[in-house]
Amino acid sequence: MSLGALTGAGVRELLDAGSPVRRHYEDLANNLLSLEGVRSVVVTSPEPGAGCTSVCVGLAAALAGMGRRAAVVDCNLEEPRLHRMLGEPNFTGLTSSLDGGKALKHYGHEVVPGLLVVPTGPVLPARAARIQTEKFVEAVRGLEESRDLVILDAPVAESLLESPNLPGSFDGVLLVVHASRTPKSVARQTTDDLLDAGVNLLGVVLNGCT
Amino acid sequence: MQGGRRGNPSLPEILYVQWERRLMVTGVVLVLAGAALLLGLFREPVFTAEAAVGVTPEERLGDEEAREAFMREVQAAVAMQKVMPEVVRRAGWERGPVEFAERLDPRFVAWNGEPGLRVQFSGPTPEQAARGANAYAEVFAERADKLGEGLLTGGALVADASVEGRATPAEGSGPRPMIYAALAAGVGLLLGGAAALLLEGRASGWRGVRDAELNLRAPVLGTIPDYSSAEVEG
Repeated sequence: MSLGALTGAGVRELLDAGSPVRRHYEDLANNLLSLEGVRSVVVTSPEPGAGCTSVCVGLAAALAGMGRRAAVVDCNLEEPRLHRMLGEPNFTGLTSSLDGGKALKHYGHEVVPGLLVVPTGPVLPARAARIQTEKFVEAVRGLEESRDLVILDAPVAESLLESPNLPGSFDGVLLVVHASRTPKSVARQTTDDLLDAGVNLLGVVLNGCT
Repeated sequence: MQGGRRGNPSLPEILYVQWERRLMVTGVVLVLAGAALLLGLFREPVFTAEAAVGVTPEERLGDEEAREAFMREVQAAVAMQKVMPEVVRRAGWERGPVEFAERLDPRFVAWNGEPGLRVQFSGPTPEQAARGANAYAEVFAERADKLGEGLLTGGALVADASVEGRATPAEGSGPRPMIYAALAAGVGLLLGGAAALLLEGRASGWRGVRDAELNLRAPVLGTIPDYSSAEVEG
């Protein structure tokens, strides 16, 4: 794994209850559930390649396997990845909801029982700005009503902090750090930046441990 | 969790880094301490002995400045450079007057309110150090004593000059390899510790939960192992 995160069949494996890492994602899910009042989590990383998307899918799959209702929303409009890693189309998704006004749940589908996946939908160059709108926050809040946990697959922290609505409007941020690839100095800087911005940093996921 | 921008590393962070890089730190300490120990053991030992000469003026001198001026006149009149071969001979020194002079350290001092000379000499043995200091002090006292027969350039007279304190072989200090080694170990600990912190700051590998929590000051909610059946995400 040269970039540390999973794609295609690798991410699909995370949906399988027999995945060798399922136990670890269940531990992560339990730790998150133990935090009171957390219904929506923004998942980000200091740098690309830390494995944000695979952590989102693995976590959501573990929650679904535990009988919870989870959703993963790809809000990385700069680099949509969720649909590609799951081998799904991206004809409709988050941007469709923001444009069309229908609830977000109508633009996703359950890849396994209890796990709703919402891709970005079509992304035009000017679309990235849409992520900053109140409409996006409302759309996610609407999704929270039917889900125990909404997981937002977000861009890297630097981009995330350029959209103040995104990290601040949800219950907390989960930072994914790759054990062999994320420089410590960069990760430290990122946590400092997040905390300076007033983000509720719920915790860290150490991905790719040996 | 909430918190501010971090300043300097906390003590637990520093201790953790030192412990994780203990081999490197220990190596630096051992190398420096070993080098200092070897240097101390194989370097020629140096022992320092001290003798004292009292020089009494004919008239009592008023203040420190007057005593210093008097001793400068005495020193000029005594002209020890001319009799250095005699001093070297008396000391039984075999390495020549130049090295003898390099190991010699005469200084003006006051003995019970009277001017005097303190002579320090560093030799390879305690006995040699004492002989060197005593020889210089004796010759100086003899020559200064003879000055009483005439006026100095400043007009003062020397009433008496004598060796007030003779150096003994027990005096002086020799090399202390263990002290040097201990000091070098302390320096090594500082250098090794600083290097460990520097390397830690530039490292990209995370050792585990404790490492991440100390570095990021945030709880680690999950660890996901690397598993190889996967492909690559861009």
